[in-house]
Amino acid sequence: MGEIILRSENLNKHFGITHAVKDVSLSFEKGEIHGLIGENGSGKSTFCSMLCGIYPISSGRFLLDGKELKVKTQVDANRAGVSIIVQEMGTLSGLTVAENIYLGNEDPFVKNGIKNVAVMNKTAQALLEQYGFGRINASAMIDHYNFEDRKLVEIVKATYFKPHVVVIDETTTALSQSGREVLFTHMNRIRNEGNTVIFISHDLTEVIEHTDRISVLRDGELIGTVTSADVTPDDLKRLMVGRELGSRYYRTDYDEPVSSEVVLSVENLAVSGEVDHISFELHKGEILGIGGLSECGMHEVGKAVFGASFHRSGTVRLSSGVHINSIPCAIRHSIAYASKDRDNESVVISDTIRDNICLPSVDELRTKRVLLKKRLDRFAQNHAEQMSVVMTGIGQYVADLSGGNKQKVVLARWLGKDSDILVLDSPTRGIDVKVKADIYALMRELSKKGKSIIMISEEIQELLGMSDRILIMKDGKINGEYRRNPALGEEDLIAKMV
Amino acid sequence: MAEQIKEEKNVRGALRFDQKPWVRELLPLLGLLLIVVIFSFLTGGKIIQPKNLQLILSQLYVPLIAAMGVFMIMTAGGLDFSQGSILGLTSIIICWVSQYHILLAVVAGIFAGALMGAFNGLFHVKFKIASFIVTICTMYLFRGLCQFITTDGPIAATVAVVALNKTWLKILLTGVVILIGFFVFRFTRLGMDLRAIGAGETAARYSGCRPELTKFLIYVAAGAITGFASFINVMKVGSITGTAGSQLETQILIALVLGGLPISGGAKASFSNILIGTLTYSILEKSLPMVFPVSATQQLVKGIIFLCVVALTIDRKSLRVIK
Repeated sequence: MGEIILRSENLNKHFGITHAVKDVSLSFEKGEIHGLIGENGSGKSTFCSMLCGIYPISSGRFLLDGKELKVKTQVDANRAGVSIIVQEMGTLSGLTVAENIYLGNEDPFVKNGIKNVAVMNKTAQALLEQYGFGRINASAMIDHYNFEDRKLVEIVKATYFKPHVVVIDETTTALSQSGREVLFTHMNRIRNEGNTVIFISHDLTEVIEHTDRISVLRDGELIGTVTSADVTPDDLKRLMVGRELGSRYYRTDYDEPVSSEVVLSVENLAVSGEVDHISFELHKGEILGIGGLSECGMHEVGKAVFGASFHRSGTVRLSSGVHINSIPCAIRHSIAYASKDRDNESVVISDTIRDNICLPSVDELRTKRVLLKKRLDRFAQNHAEQMSVVMTGIGQYVADLSGGNKQKVVLARWLGKDSDILVLDSPTRGIDVKVKADIYALMRELSKKGKSIIMISEEIQELLGMSDRILIMKDGKINGEYRRNPALGEEDLIAKMV
Repeated sequence: MAEQIKEEKNVRGALRFDQKPWVRELLPLLGLLLIVVIFSFLTGGKIIQPKNLQLILSQLYVPLIAAMGVFMIMTAGGLDFSQGSILGLTSIIICWVSQYHILLAVVAGIFAGALMGAFNGLFHVKFKIASFIVTICTMYLFRGLCQFITTDGPIAATVAVVALNKTWLKILLTGVVILIGFFVFRFTRLGMDLRAIGAGETAARYSGCRPELTKFLIYVAAGAITGFASFINVMKVGSITGTAGSQLETQILIALVLGGLPISGGAKASFSNILIGTLTYSILEKSLPMVFPVSATQQLVKGIIFLCVVALTIDRKSLRVIK
């Protein structure tokens, strides 16, 4: 057991009546990388925000080196020896690299109210060299650099003054592999200097690999702290969610036959610059996965099937012979579509849950061409409940919902419509583990009922785990087709994508 | 547990005072009451004398009816500045046709208004020009026509039309239009589509609405409704000059905002916006001259009041560029 540098004692945070952090008492040792994990909304970011003076503490306290830490701003926190690298862009546009590094700490360079830019740039450049980022020019505008380089500047900004505790909040998702390596190198360096890193990430493998200990938060409570060497990602998932996920997460069957009945055929579909004359068929009760890199054209294929691709050639035809050429036509013929761009295309964000659920079914909901509020209410309530949307009521605006709940509203509206063909583009994007599992279960249930699903996804695991058949697209063409098969691995799909 | 926490979060979201639906609904009503109380006090009760109330009522019909169309346009996220000019031009047409047959005049007014609305809609939807630009242009265009036609003097309607100028008839006609508007807005697919389009056009399209068609139709409808309002206008004034209906467009827009309609439209549009807003505006319009005899002061006070009301009631969350 090492020496304790930072301790939280009975820490609480309330937002209104929400209790976001509940009585968390947690110790961090000198010279460790301490992982902090939990689902979306479990309180990890709130915890760190209080540590760094971004949010005021509701009750409880932090002890740094035995003394109570009282900070009101991030600059206070820096002075006390605590810094943070945030999830979003943490550098300010319109300032130079050096100005960003010394933001809030310009005093050493200021004499009689005048900032000595030359000295500041020189000092900053020396720092950058020291970190091995010599290619970044301290006097250049930060805007000249891409997201990744700006993150590197943030690493410098957060660590040059040798803070005792550095918080790294979900930074890796934004970084490429090489950027991550750089980050991990610096995390190790900080640890070896005897300081502490608090590392927040959703990538459990990464967390296990790069931390010494891991603390798990769930619903604002500390569930426990484990030694990284002793756990597997599944152990962590279990701790995060509080129930066994493993087997139920994806489907487990491999030899269930798919009906030979074709419900939809796409022939020679082409969208200039996006999709290059592709043809495929969708069977009854099938989950057809379409994967590829983000720019491979698969998202446009989803739109085309829904009649929402406006400059396309080729045909999208139902088994009944009907051609799908417009959105109203697609909806009328029982095709549903959940867009990747959830906020702009899937839900009318500043409208109520009721209207969102009712909109596609509005023609069926009319009583002699008249819309009765009672009937709409009942319809929306039923389907929102069926999808267990967490809401104050169907009159709540969708904008107030979390990502997972928005997606539930999207699914509720199409279940309400009783659609036979569902096109789901990135159905679990940005959604936490629990809702993800719900969505997978629902897809499974639908396909058993004979509904056909086209699942477009950038997540290879999801494609492998859920699809009866997988189409891999590359540069607008279908580059590979696979049947569901336990032997199929990520590498097979990746090979066809790039 | 996770459910619970999220639920609490959402409850918190809904609890924000200014977001509660009933606050939004009640604020304009409170504004109306406040203005009635303040001006009853300032005018020594004169404004609530039957004589003045009658005057207010007589000035209410035309803006109330014409506001109906603009309300629907704004709900779908558009704007319309041309209604005043449409009123002027259709009034002239009604005067002409009334020489032959009164019912025909009503139909002609509605038809002409619809045609002008279609012109707006065509340019907005087909040529994809922002609605406020299109309608500012047509405002000048139609007004120019009005003034050209009336160069040699006002156009008069037949006496039979003026003879119809009975309060009960005006109330009846206005009431019928309001009821129809209310029904369409609350109980038809069109009303629901309008709100959805205003709240998010792309998402509405992906939900099966036809934003282009719908928007075109409401411009036509708004023109037609104003065409009908013109008939009441002609009943009241008998002869039409080149400036007939000018300022009506701003009057309607301000009334709707006073009534609590979010400028960007959307799901928060409520039918009561029209009634409360028009009433508030009319009372202000009538009482300001009683309190401030100088017209310059009236303008000043009017500006300040509007600014205050808008600052208090506007929905900042849904503010964005108006299409």
